[in-house]
Amino acid sequence: MMSSKKVLWILTVCLALVLAACGGSDTGDTTTTAGGDEPGTTSGETPDTTEPSDDPVVVRAAINNDEDTINPYTYVTGFPGWNMLMMQYDSLMQFDADGVPQPWLAETVEASEDLATWTVTIVDGVTWHDGEPLTIEDVKFAYDYFLTNAAGRFARDLAGVESVEITGEREVTISLAGPSPAFDQVALGDIPIIPQHIWETIEGPSEATFDIDVNIGSGPFKLVEYVPDQSYRFEANPDYFLGAPAVDELVVVIFADDAGALAAIRSGEVDVIFDRVSPEQIELLDAQDPLDISQGPEFTTQMINYDATKAPFDDIAVRQAIDLAVDRQDIVDTVYLGAATVGSPGWVHPDKPVYNPDVAAVYDVDAANALLDDAGYADTDDDGIREFDGQPMSFEYLTNAEDSLRLRISELVSEMLADIGIEVNVASVESSTWEEAVWPGFDINNGRNYEMAMWGWSAPVQANTIRLGQLVHGDPGKGFLNLTGFDDPDLNALVDQLEVEGDPETAQQLLNDIQAQIAEKLPFVLLAYPDGAYVYNSDVYGDWEFIAGQGIVSKVSLLPAAARP
Amino acid sequence: MRRAGLNRLGQYLIVFVVAVTLNFILPRLMPGNPLALIAGVDVGLLTPDQRAEIIEAAGLNEPLISQYFDYWKSILTGDLGFSYRSGRPISELIAERLPWTLLLAGGALVISAFFGIILGAISAWRRGKKLDLGLLSSMIALESLPSFWLGMLLISLFSVSWGLLPSFGAVTPASDLVGWDHVRDVIEHAILPVATLSVLSIPGVYLTMRYSMLEVLGEDFIRTARAKGASETRVLFGHVARNAMAPVVTFLAIRLAFAFGGAVIIETVFSYPGLGRLVFESVGGRDFPVMQAAFLVFTVAVLLANLAADFLYPLLDPRTRARNE
Amino acid sequence: MSDSLVAPPDRSKRRRFRGIADKLGILGIFIVSAMILMAVFAPWIAPYDPTERVGRPFQTPSAEHLLGTNDVGQDLLSELIFGARVSLTVGLVAALVAFIIGTTVGVLAGYYPKRIGTVLMRTVDVVLILPFLPLLIVLAAYLGRSLINTILVIGILIWAAPARVIRSQVLSLRSREYVLAAQTMGAPDRWAIWRHVLPRTALLATSTFVRAVSTAILLEAALSFLGLGDPIQKSWGSMLFWAQTRGAFLTPAWKWWVLPPGIMIMLASLGFAFIAFAVEERINPRL
Repeated sequence: MMSSKKVLWILTVCLALVLAACGGSDTGDTTTTAGGDEPGTTSGETPDTTEPSDDPVVVRAAINNDEDTINPYTYVTGFPGWNMLMMQYDSLMQFDADGVPQPWLAETVEASEDLATWTVTIVDGVTWHDGEPLTIEDVKFAYDYFLTNAAGRFARDLAGVESVEITGEREVTISLAGPSPAFDQVALGDIPIIPQHIWETIEGPSEATFDIDVNIGSGPFKLVEYVPDQSYRFEANPDYFLGAPAVDELVVVIFADDAGALAAIRSGEVDVIFDRVSPEQIELLDAQDPLDISQGPEFTTQMINYDATKAPFDDIAVRQAIDLAVDRQDIVDTVYLGAATVGSPGWVHPDKPVYNPDVAAVYDVDAANALLDDAGYADTDDDGIREFDGQPMSFEYLTNAEDSLRLRISELVSEMLADIGIEVNVASVESSTWEEAVWPGFDINNGRNYEMAMWGWSAPVQANTIRLGQLVHGDPGKGFLNLTGFDDPDLNALVDQLEVEGDPETAQQLLNDIQAQIAEKLPFVLLAYPDGAYVYNSDVYGDWEFIAGQGIVSKVSLLPAAARP
Repeated sequence: MRRAGLNRLGQYLIVFVVAVTLNFILPRLMPGNPLALIAGVDVGLLTPDQRAEIIEAAGLNEPLISQYFDYWKSILTGDLGFSYRSGRPISELIAERLPWTLLLAGGALVISAFFGIILGAISAWRRGKKLDLGLLSSMIALESLPSFWLGMLLISLFSVSWGLLPSFGAVTPASDLVGWDHVRDVIEHAILPVATLSVLSIPGVYLTMRYSMLEVLGEDFIRTARAKGASETRVLFGHVARNAMAPVVTFLAIRLAFAFGGAVIIETVFSYPGLGRLVFESVGGRDFPVMQAAFLVFTVAVLLANLAADFLYPLLDPRTRARNE
Repeated sequence: MSDSLVAPPDRSKRRRFRGIADKLGILGIFIVSAMILMAVFAPWIAPYDPTERVGRPFQTPSAEHLLGTNDVGQDLLSELIFGARVSLTVGLVAALVAFIIGTTVGVLAGYYPKRIGTVLMRTVDVVLILPFLPLLIVLAAYLGRSLINTILVIGILIWAAPARVIRSQVLSLRSREYVLAAQTMGAPDRWAIWRHVLPRTALLATSTFVRAVSTAILLEAALSFLGLGDPIQKSWGSMLFWAQTRGAFLTPAWKWWVLPPGIMIMLASLGFAFIAFAVEERINPRL
């Protein structure tokens, strides 16, 4: 019959196409660098748990997003994209387990008295993956390159840098426009050093297309294969300046969602998941042999945003009532099953040294109701919902459907605010729609198209405490992350002062004041800091290092113990 | 006949233009912004100047109408442009993913056509018998299974519980398999998604075939043929099946064409690198060029299938053929 | 079993078959009405308010919570019972929308294949290739995320395919002797359509409606799975969404959290299909 012939013909074509594609991807693979697959023969130090067998240690990791070719201009997400970038490259400093930056490529890091000039000498004898020596010229080149070819993160890190000068055989001096107390954290520990001999010929990197040949770094791993939407393969750099890594090969597999990655680690098809494990999975995975969990506090946030320029959210009483009416502990217990830290109303994570312990969340529905009563928001028509300016206090609460925990928090918030006569209708929308409403065009000058919304910042925003002004300053130029349109002269003055304060003690005093002010005036309501929890197969590799606030995905986790900072 | 054919082609051209235009307009009506994708890194950390620069470089500040003409130019020259996200040529992206999608869809199509047509014919033949009832009710039950539900259950059983088959991807990552091992690897990875897709598509083919057969069995000319004393097999193959095939072929042609849109759900459940995921991701990130290109492929495939069905239908169904001639 | 097919259908056998069909139909009516009753009387049947957190999260089944609790401590059995409301409404209304548009377009396009048919079928072609993901997001953005939006989207997504199938059918009916005869005798088109075309299309149309109901229920679930539905609405689809995002597929919880909604979806479709099956038997016993 005609149709079955047709079907057969189609099948043949399909198969032919598939085979062609497979052939194509085979030949398309980048060939591995010579000698790159030598098993970890570490010189000098003995790695503590790595078995001294000849079998190479291959770790297969799962991620949820294609990160493109993972060079400084192509990686996609701040996490884990940046983390995988930094496995191939080194920065001048590296965060240790406590989240404190330590000299890395740098031998010494010295700041001037006023914290406006930073002098760095680099370690001798480091080589790039292609064997070329890493010199001080490369360091200057890298910083200049990121300043010239601005593309987000690294240029922003270097904001305020006036010049980078070579002042010695292995020394650079970085001059800033003003004091920058956290320059080591913000820039030196964040920016990858890239080789001049590769990048000097690349113009307009933001628009250029790359293949992985460009990925020549000095880091412990080298990207040798990238199959878009499927996988990456990193090979250990046996000549790494701190000794060969404890893992010989890192394969990173791209999954479509968490569930796929979870199924794969349970069936033994991958050995670690680079994305955080959802709270309800922690116990379950930990119970399964040989899976283990590495868990700790992280600096991402979950918060309520409201349009603070519009009634009734321009009224401090309403914001304070909302803050009092949310039971943060309940959110942590119910949604995160305890795997989160209760949000500090003053923004700063309690585990950070600069945290002001006097700022604490209070849950008091009666006080919240009293506040609203006193401020004149009465329920005149007895429908259980208060009114303002003759309208019911009923608001749409936007959240993104892709984040189910956030969705659950919204439902809880809606329940909690019902207790104080505020009706919250949760609207779950697709991510880009939500983002566009809360932060149109990623530029706060475009205003806001929401009443209330769930929001959260990634870890770097919390990490850079010194730049709190970005978050709360009323001037859109300075407070470019101030999505709620909050504007308070006292707070503006404080954050302005903090940015240029050189004396650590005065700075801490300012930070304490700022936290207290934020907790009182509430530019947003911070609900929780979710913990990071990562699952790995300890039979394959178990020496993961949890860096406070950053998690386990870093080159440190893959280095022998002696080489760690 | 030839004029009618030309006329038909003209109509398809109009449909094509309308569809392509909608493919251009719909993505841009979505709220949201491709900036995050283009910038490639934490977009919140861009300065306003950097933002403006990126928007300008991507041509997003040009008037829509000129973007629209650029789009037509790219279709006519066959140069689909570059992805906002990866900066890679879109033709490459599609060429990488299409074969995987077709492998899944093609496999499922063949399996479902085979079982659907045979079971549908048997069912109609044995109409009202226990076999028919059993087949009919189980097919309806199969058709009622949520696809992702079935897929996840299969993963739970075959991959997690029993460890028999891989749960994700199209090949074992970084395995360096070649030759026969590679083919086996590909097949092993395709088994669960193809099985899921097939289970879900058999009932459609089956029901179409069964209803179509029943229609034909009740026709006057079948009775005439029977009355004329034509043999049983002759009635079955010469008249019934042949006349019943037209709707089934239409159905299969459309099915196949729709495969070019990618099986979003199945590809998501099995982390399969097909077109569906490409579309889903590009929609999520507002990667306009990739969306347009993917929709273009889909549009062309469906239109060609429709065209083929339109021209094949008269050939397959002697009743309409008789009338046209 | 080995009877000659050539023989006209045996009367008694046909009656017996109708008996079976009727029984299936009654079973279908039973299933569907049980579900509709469950939906209507959900507040009285369900042990708890499904939006209320009544226990610890992730509880296993117990006397208090027969199907355990979900990820925030809501009673799963109550969710399942209330879920019938949204799922059945979406399924029936969306299928009805699709059925009305699809049949009208299909019959008109098949009966007037020249001008009207051409325009209609080209419209169908365009609708079939509309990129549905952006369409969904655009509609949601302008209509707001509501049940009506979900219904509309699903209706728009599924009417085109039935229209094509029905048109094929009508096209071939149109060339049959009785229609041609009616036409040559000068009977108005409306009469020919009503008397000859519609009854012979009803079987197919009913079957497409049945399929549309289950497709609509399934699409609702699928949209939820992709995060494009409204996970706040308590439907069987959103229950599966939560089961999926909170990892129930990979834990023992799949038995009480994943299986029941899936089975409800299946049962609902089966119920409708059985009814339709019996109805076909009555409409067109000749077959």
